[in-house]
Amino acid sequence: MAKGVLTELEKKVVQAVQGDIPVCGRPYLELAREAGVGEEEFIRALEGLVERGVMRRFGATLRHQKSGYTANAMVAWKVPEERVEEAGRAFAEHGSVSHCYRRDPARDWPYNVYTMVHAGSAADCEAIAKELSARAGARDYEILFSKREFKKTSMAYFPADDEG
Amino acid sequence: MPPLDGTDRAILNRIQSDFPRDQRPYGVIARELGLQEDEVLQRISRLKAEGVIRRVGGNFYPEKLGFVSTLCAARVPDQEVEAFARAVNRHAGVTHNYERDNAYNVWFTFIAESREEIAAALESIRRETGIGEILNLPATRVFKIRARFSV
Repeated sequence: MAKGVLTELEKKVVQAVQGDIPVCGRPYLELAREAGVGEEEFIRALEGLVERGVMRRFGATLRHQKSGYTANAMVAWKVPEERVEEAGRAFAEHGSVSHCYRRDPARDWPYNVYTMVHAGSAADCEAIAKELSARAGARDYEILFSKREFKKTSMAYFPADDEG
Repeated sequence: MPPLDGTDRAILNRIQSDFPRDQRPYGVIARELGLQEDEVLQRISRLKAEGVIRRVGGNFYPEKLGFVSTLCAARVPDQEVEAFARAVNRHAGVTHNYERDNAYNVWFTFIAESREEIAAALESIRRETGIGEILNLPATRVFKIRARFSV
């Protein structure tokens, strides 16, 4: 277990808020009770996790298909290394790009920059990829549409049976 | 599912980030939007029941909790895709897993406490499924992570 990164109280707060927060007047009171701590110290520890940037986002996660974003595609780009920084920034600026990373190419897979693109249709995703290609001057890319979702969940950090 | 009205949209746009850390967080949101707390509670309950909201909670940087993450891609013969996906999904650190239209057709994310743990898990997936071609593609630079959408 990663030691020293979080206090025991903070681990309890992570366990409590990595799921779904109850919809009721005082949700933190409920979660704090379940964790065996006080509401006030729970909220203070939660605030600390947000302030320190341990949490990248605290709030609702939507199902895109039900909120109008019906198509998503992963676009893998082959960008010359000396231009990765510039291309990555150009991709990231686009409003339809939710995620953008550089990864090392591997074996028979030469791509080194990845973007997740969200839009109303597959054709829109393709149009956005073209736009990104022009914007970043990156011509070599593959669009990978998802055919089936086998799993989509959030990580369960610090499971209760794994104390330490 | 009935279409979202203006109040639904205002609530959805407000609660996707910076959810209040207050004794009555839904009351804070209600005040900001000029609504009653009860109405906010009812609408969020309904949007969850309808599946518009997956969950409300914290999203963490694995690295800041002492974890590491990666993206993996595998070349799997079509008739073995489902069995392979099941073998992959049995690992608790796998959070996303999709079939995609490419020669590398199964793509999954993996979070664990160390790079060694991920390498060992991939090795055990290779042994169990007989699928040897699994790429391990950890990010070396993050340009953007955003999971907020205007609705």
